[in-house]
Amino acid sequence: MTSTDSPRSAPVLLTYRPWRGTLGGPLRGTWAIARVSLFLLLRRKLFWALYGVSAMIFLLFFYGQYLQSWLQTQIQDEPIRLGSGVVGATVKPVELVKMLKTILRLDGSGYTFRNFFNYQSQIIMIVLALAGAILIGNDFRFGSLPFYLSKPLHRWHYLGGKFIAVGAFINLMTTLPAIVLFAEYGMIDTWEYYTDNAHLLLGIVAYGAILTTTLGLLLLATATWLRRTVPMIMVWTALFAFARMLGDLMVLSLRLDHRWRLIDLWNDLYIVGNWCLGMDHSTLRPQPQPAPWQAGLVLVAVCLTSAIYLNRRIQAVEVA
Amino acid sequence: MSDTMLTKAVPAALGASLRIPQTERSEPVLLFEQVSKWYGPVIGVNQVTLELRGGITGLVGANGAGKSSLLRLATGQLRPDLGVVTVRGIDAFDWRAKRLVGYCPDNDVFYEEMSGYQFVETMARLCGFTKRDARRRTDAVIELVGMEGRCDRKIRGYSKGMRQRIKLAQALLNDPALLVLDEPMSGIDPIGRQDFVELFTSLARAGKCLLISSHELEELDKLTDHVAIMARGRIAAVGTVMQIRDLLDNHPLAVRIDLPEPRSLASHLLDFPDVVGLDLHDAASAEEPGGLVVRARNPRKFLRDLGRLVVEENLDVRRLESLDDSTQAILGYLLGGR
Repeated sequence: MTSTDSPRSAPVLLTYRPWRGTLGGPLRGTWAIARVSLFLLLRRKLFWALYGVSAMIFLLFFYGQYLQSWLQTQIQDEPIRLGSGVVGATVKPVELVKMLKTILRLDGSGYTFRNFFNYQSQIIMIVLALAGAILIGNDFRFGSLPFYLSKPLHRWHYLGGKFIAVGAFINLMTTLPAIVLFAEYGMIDTWEYYTDNAHLLLGIVAYGAILTTTLGLLLLATATWLRRTVPMIMVWTALFAFARMLGDLMVLSLRLDHRWRLIDLWNDLYIVGNWCLGMDHSTLRPQPQPAPWQAGLVLVAVCLTSAIYLNRRIQAVEVA
Repeated sequence: MSDTMLTKAVPAALGASLRIPQTERSEPVLLFEQVSKWYGPVIGVNQVTLELRGGITGLVGANGAGKSSLLRLATGQLRPDLGVVTVRGIDAFDWRAKRLVGYCPDNDVFYEEMSGYQFVETMARLCGFTKRDARRRTDAVIELVGMEGRCDRKIRGYSKGMRQRIKLAQALLNDPALLVLDEPMSGIDPIGRQDFVELFTSLARAGKCLLISSHELEELDKLTDHVAIMARGRIAAVGTVMQIRDLLDNHPLAVRIDLPEPRSLASHLLDFPDVVGLDLHDAASAEEPGGLVVRARNPRKFLRDLGRLVVEENLDVRRLESLDDSTQAILGYLLGGR
């Protein structure tokens, strides 16, 4: 800006340099929105507590796999005496490892990754319920949207940026660490593990993609609709906790058809994820469960509904 | 500023949307064609036709007159229900049109955790700059708005004036042909206002088209005499302040003339057909000459005739001041004293 003591009669733009280059397309702006949104997710101290829990789950699986594999190579057939006197007990190492395997399932199988996704999804649900208002709702509520929408972007680019941020976050919490676990198990087992279980890698990626698409679209739709944190938490709790309780109540207590479990979105994600990982449907608990294609249809319906709602909002919502 | 303005805003009639036929370049920077916008049953903008080609245009009007809606239509934030808004021939709702537009909104809600620099740099990335260019451009506009050395602090701690400067900086990033500013002077200290006035003037001289909405009519008067007045969703009048004033036939222009012998002049003025009233003030002392306040229709003709009379009669006019041709006065007349 020209200084105040500059000649008033002939103001000159001494420092203004007009832009002579070529601007990139709106996709570049989409990345910028995604980066800012991820930055917002990483800024909150409360979330770091949840990220800590998530990291501990990952480390449990990471070192658990290694420990189990190491134990298998170290044990001998002789029973081991644990403790002394009356509190002592004799255990067979082979059976101990077998029991650990049965309970923890840290064996690089589909169970390992299904369990890992399931635990991590719970953290993701909580973070997304809390972050929805921060990521999108506040832009609508406090009027910062004009800054975005006055730039060379379409509304879809704005939502695309937010979706990329949510997707990146979900995959950083689930798919990427799951792939690391897959790679780790191959290294502590044999190289054949990779070739024999290539379908697991595809399953991990597919499970991550399903989580990303469903939760991303659902988050965008609910956050543009509700805008505030408390209503967001209430709706997500209803969708992912009360719906599960209601489904259980209908099927187990009221003895209604098992397809009533389809109202439980979390369970639907779990069923489809189980199918992606090539796991037997009968391993799901509690039984009976809806078929994967039925759960898949529900997820498609949820995604379509969210996309249609977003499309309507984009056409109708205007920056007020 | 009228000399720098390409828009020849000649209002055809008051109380109607006005088309300004033009001129030197074929494509207007901003064009509203019969634009209407409803919010449910309420009409926000009513059949507005407006054409801007350069220079500074002030947008004034009472609260709820439709100014903000008009600005949002111009920046592609709203889509008109009827009519077309284009920026250099491109639909304003299209992202390509937004490359030509810089918008400084009236609200100052940012991401408070960011520094001013980070915010502007992020906005630069949204404009489509590469990382390196975004930094260069951010440095340039930060310097331009006088925020160098202060932009690394978090926005949370910024004063209103600093926020205004940051908002203006992000609006200038893409070197826009059309700069739309909603209350840019709000919260700015007097020195900052002068800086802004100089900057806006310079930008207009550099060929930019500025549309400025402001309640600060005195500041607006310093910037431009070209205004668009909005009332009830319509453009009530557009043009230079004097052009609009000329059309207010039922509000004769009041001119104060100080001279030692006001009665002599008054006798001559009563012969003028355009003069509808006179108030005489006799001299209070030797230092304070007497004078008169004349109310006349057809101000241009009256002032021409008055000038001729002063020369012919060799009158010692000490002061000649128009009392009600400011934007404020005209706005008051047009909006019924509100």
